Amino acid sequence: MPTKASFSIASKSSRTLVASVFGVIALAMALALRSQLPGGELRAVSTIFMFIALSQAWNIIGGFTGYASFGQVVFFGMGGYFAAVVMLKYHFSFWLALPLSGCFAALFAILIGQPLLKLKGHYFAIATLGVAEGMREVVINIADLTGGGAGISVPIAGKFAKTEYLGDGGFYLLFLALAIFSLVIGTVVSRNKFGYGLRAIHQNEDAAAAVGINTVRSKVMAYALSAFMTGIVGASYVFQQVTIFPERLFDVEITVLMIMMVVIGGSGTVIGPLLGALSLQFVSEYLREHFTNVHTFILAGIIILAVILIPQGAVNYLREGIRTKDFSLLTNIRRYRL
Amino acid sequence: MDTFLQVTAYGLLQGGLLALVAVGFSLVWGIMNIVNLSHGAFVILGAYIAWEMQAWTGLDPFLGMFVSAAVLFCLGYVIQRYLINLIVNGPVFITLLLTFGINMALIQAMNLVFTADFRSIQTSYGSNSFGIGEVRIPLVRLLAFLLAIVITLLLVAFVKRTRTGISIMATGMDRGAARLMGIKARHVYALTFAISAALAGMAGTMIATIETFDPSKAGKFTLMAFVVAVLGGLGNMYGALVGGLLIGLVQSWAGQYLSGTWVNAIAFLVLIIVLIFRPNGLVGKAFYAARVEI
Repeated sequence: MPTKASFSIASKSSRTLVASVFGVIALAMALALRSQLPGGELRAVSTIFMFIALSQAWNIIGGFTGYASFGQVVFFGMGGYFAAVVMLKYHFSFWLALPLSGCFAALFAILIGQPLLKLKGHYFAIATLGVAEGMREVVINIADLTGGGAGISVPIAGKFAKTEYLGDGGFYLLFLALAIFSLVIGTVVSRNKFGYGLRAIHQNEDAAAAVGINTVRSKVMAYALSAFMTGIVGASYVFQQVTIFPERLFDVEITVLMIMMVVIGGSGTVIGPLLGALSLQFVSEYLREHFTNVHTFILAGIIILAVILIPQGAVNYLREGIRTKDFSLLTNIRRYRL
Repeated sequence: MDTFLQVTAYGLLQGGLLALVAVGFSLVWGIMNIVNLSHGAFVILGAYIAWEMQAWTGLDPFLGMFVSAAVLFCLGYVIQRYLINLIVNGPVFITLLLTFGINMALIQAMNLVFTADFRSIQTSYGSNSFGIGEVRIPLVRLLAFLLAIVITLLLVAFVKRTRTGISIMATGMDRGAARLMGIKARHVYALTFAISAALAGMAGTMIATIETFDPSKAGKFTLMAFVVAVLGGLGNMYGALVGGLLIGLVQSWAGQYLSGTWVNAIAFLVLIIVLIFRPNGLVGKAFYAARVEI
């Protein structure tokens, strides 16, 4: 359909313009918000930024490439523990530990990605889940290095603390920066040749290989990039929390939240995971505050309904709806129904 | 040597229990290509139902497990028919998310209804054991082990010999052809899931007689079911039994001869190695690899 193609090319530069205008406004609002909010709410908004970064990271391997990494939290945990160990034992400054922890997570991804990315569908999902659960056990068992199940604390005061604790306002800025970084990476990947290669792999891996995409290298690179982004978020989270435990840092619920945000928003898009992270984290915080007893229950209900009603995500649902003029949820359910 | 024999016996008995936990999980995965993340919650729910039955009516857990199985059968049927069937053809992470959502809801419901304190089912014969040579065999564990084997054999007989069982297998092999032959795939899927949930309920009851349980243990059982199902392979009814016994032995030996909780890490290491080198499992075959989805 040539008309459609020319339409989308013509609108691309205007879309970029609109997106950057909105981006600048949102950034200005986020910065202005920093001086207005009390400490507790600053932390809540920081968590939203954190999940924006995490969902963008998952989107690269899960959304673009189509490999459902159900153990993504392993990179969060590995990055976090790497930062904690080098800061505590080797007195690294946080600003040095931050990129190194990302590299460490990426290296680990390259290592396990070679064999694991040969697996498909559920097998990949379960293998990555196995890696995450296994690594948690490993971290618990090498207590000399990691503190084991009793946890480990990052130095934030005294002569070994190379970087001063950032405080609520500082972490707000740090997580905002991570969110922006992840959005930039997401946008770049979404538009360059590498990203189109990943999409091709998602749609048909054999066909992608046939048109000259080095599928193995692309997949491993996507996995490593995703791991890097997750790893630096993990390191920042560790510095914010000061004392960390394996149970929290390798919590499968973090993975599920990442995936949920991507899926609700719309996987394979940049704006989707952003909207998903914003809305889901906001709803989750609201429910926690107002329906403390049953907030998990309601959240589970939202997950179940969202997955059944709009399995392709809000952004993709709207796009398809606008194109086909059919917003019926029933059509939507029929898509994957037996 | 005596220690070794004792540890081996314990491993085999524990393995039977793991097999019982995993056999339904493996069935659902093999037939419908759905990884049911709420399987562990079914196990725990079965344990709670049997506990309540014993508390209210004094029913023995070995009879109470049939009540658990019946309740979970109905629950499983409804969940598959009205929730999971709606997204059966979706991408992997959609089905994973849906079953995880069901898992969250079930666990939270159990926390609210039963509170989260540790429970276990006490019986008058619960601490009985007998010796074979130097090896002590606890009675309840032996009963659970035998039950696991009997149930696996019954399941195989059901699937191979009855009309309903054959229609389940047919749907698993080629859903399109099965539907053309007049099999109601929606009903068969719901039935398969219901059987899986009922088996999980029985396994939960057995576990409750042996160790303490609470809703937070659900995830552990789901993961164990994963490991066992993958190890045994799908598409072979004996797969779960083989996988369960093997993991039981490995865990038992590792628990005896390694320090700390390396035993859990070993289970996942085995999982990953098997996935990489023999993704169809030790005795399985990829029988739905080329099936037609209609």
